[in-house]
Amino acid sequence: MNEAIELLAPNRVISKKTVRWLVGFQLLMLLSIWIFSPTVFLPKPREVFRALGDLWFEGLGGELITSFYLNIQAIAISACLSLLLAYLTVIPFFRPIVALLSKLRFLSMVGLTFFFTLMATTGHELKLFLLVFSVSVFFVTGMAEVVASIPKEKFDLARTLRMGDWRVVYEVIVLGQADKAFEVLRQNAAMGWMMLTMVEGISRSEGGIGAMLLNQNKHFHLSAVFAIQLTILLLGLGQDYAIGLLRKIFCPYADLTLERK
Amino acid sequence: MVSYTYGKTLLKIENVSLEYDGRPILRNVSAEIKDILRPDCTQGQVVGFLGPSGIGKTQLFRIIAGLNPPTSGRVTVNGLDRPVKAGEVGVVAQDYPLFEHRTVLSNLLLAANRKEKDDKVAHDKVLQYLNDFELIDKARLYPVQLSGGQRQRCAIIQQILCSDHFLLMDEPFSGLDLLMLERTCALIQKVANMDELNTIIVVTHDVTAAASVADHLWLMGRDHDAKGTPLPGSHIVETYDLIERNLCWHPEIITHPQFVEFVREVKDRFRTL
Repeated sequence: MNEAIELLAPNRVISKKTVRWLVGFQLLMLLSIWIFSPTVFLPKPREVFRALGDLWFEGLGGELITSFYLNIQAIAISACLSLLLAYLTVIPFFRPIVALLSKLRFLSMVGLTFFFTLMATTGHELKLFLLVFSVSVFFVTGMAEVVASIPKEKFDLARTLRMGDWRVVYEVIVLGQADKAFEVLRQNAAMGWMMLTMVEGISRSEGGIGAMLLNQNKHFHLSAVFAIQLTILLLGLGQDYAIGLLRKIFCPYADLTLERK
Repeated sequence: MVSYTYGKTLLKIENVSLEYDGRPILRNVSAEIKDILRPDCTQGQVVGFLGPSGIGKTQLFRIIAGLNPPTSGRVTVNGLDRPVKAGEVGVVAQDYPLFEHRTVLSNLLLAANRKEKDDKVAHDKVLQYLNDFELIDKARLYPVQLSGGQRQRCAIIQQILCSDHFLLMDEPFSGLDLLMLERTCALIQKVANMDELNTIIVVTHDVTAAASVADHLWLMGRDHDAKGTPLPGSHIVETYDLIERNLCWHPEIITHPQFVEFVREVKDRFRTL
């Protein structure tokens, strides 16, 4: 009874066993709503899983590999570019450039297609350019904010330990903020999947799960649409877990003081 | 009366002035710390640096540490004919900053390797300090896993390993209970007396605690005009020599009536600043 009250009170720490029960219960509720929902626009689980089987035979696996490869490539390039640019904000010369890049996140991807088409030689390249641009403008914004919010005391500490300017950058920003960099990467990698479907809709030359989703959507195959969304969700969760695991391995100190570990 | 003599000048503040947007913060601050020599004894130096809030203590603190340059004047250490550089004077800030992404051992090795190029020597030195400061069992922990006292000791060791015998401590007595206050005072004296040249400057508001560990007290304040209005720009208005007054290096000094009287004298002067 007490545990139940704790679940509804703010800032309570609950046991792992209770968390498992809570997650299980909420999943069951969600599944029940899905199964028993009267709306005709919500395909039933059985229909979705059947559509998933059909899609698999239509080449879902291959499309997934194409999309996954494109996304990983884009995330890797975006992460390298954005981290480098964010770290470069320690140099006053680069601050206006990074600020300008950050502001470009308000631009529509569709409006940039023509510009990137002129630059790209293949469909894959065009998609990669679009994806790298879209993810990087958000990634660099998040990471530049992390760099800007480092307290002066951290820099002072490094200086009192006789570190030169670049060693200070390496120790305080690159190593010292690695846990936050992983967190920004995690958020932006998730956004990559959201943008991927849009990008694959703009250039369908290679196919991909985004092109497949748009085709099914166009023909109003709701079960197939849900099946693809479910696949993307599962892949995204896997990616999120993998980045979280890397963060735990490389930055074990990061969560030591959190109330909700 | 304990016998002692003064040796060479270890740290010298020469006419340091600081202005922000034309507004004087510090004005011609001058002071020096000399090596105190006692027969058959390793005696470090401890200076208590007192002053009301907003007087510019932190600014002078940063200049002495080589973190900020003054508008004019200079601070020199070890008789060198050039301004102090960051790293020559260790700094233990109020919240004891450490690199949170490194373990205690890694934090200390990083500091030791800045000065000692031989890894083996640096490692042995770190282990020795960890033993001396009762932190050896905490070596593999991260700073967030340490208590306040352990963190303070770790921050002190880190700075000692890297600096040239100088340590600036910002408000080390702030927010401590009586037991921790006594331990911190003992720790400061222990660190000071580890080497003849060790010199600690303690910036604090706590007159009693500062007087109980220091051999000299610097009192920072502003001059006043005839109407009693404070003039802009502060400086060291008073220097108290506790050795001369026979008020240092005695165990249980804080219970001596002369010490109590001295603390009252400093507090009365403090109120006029």
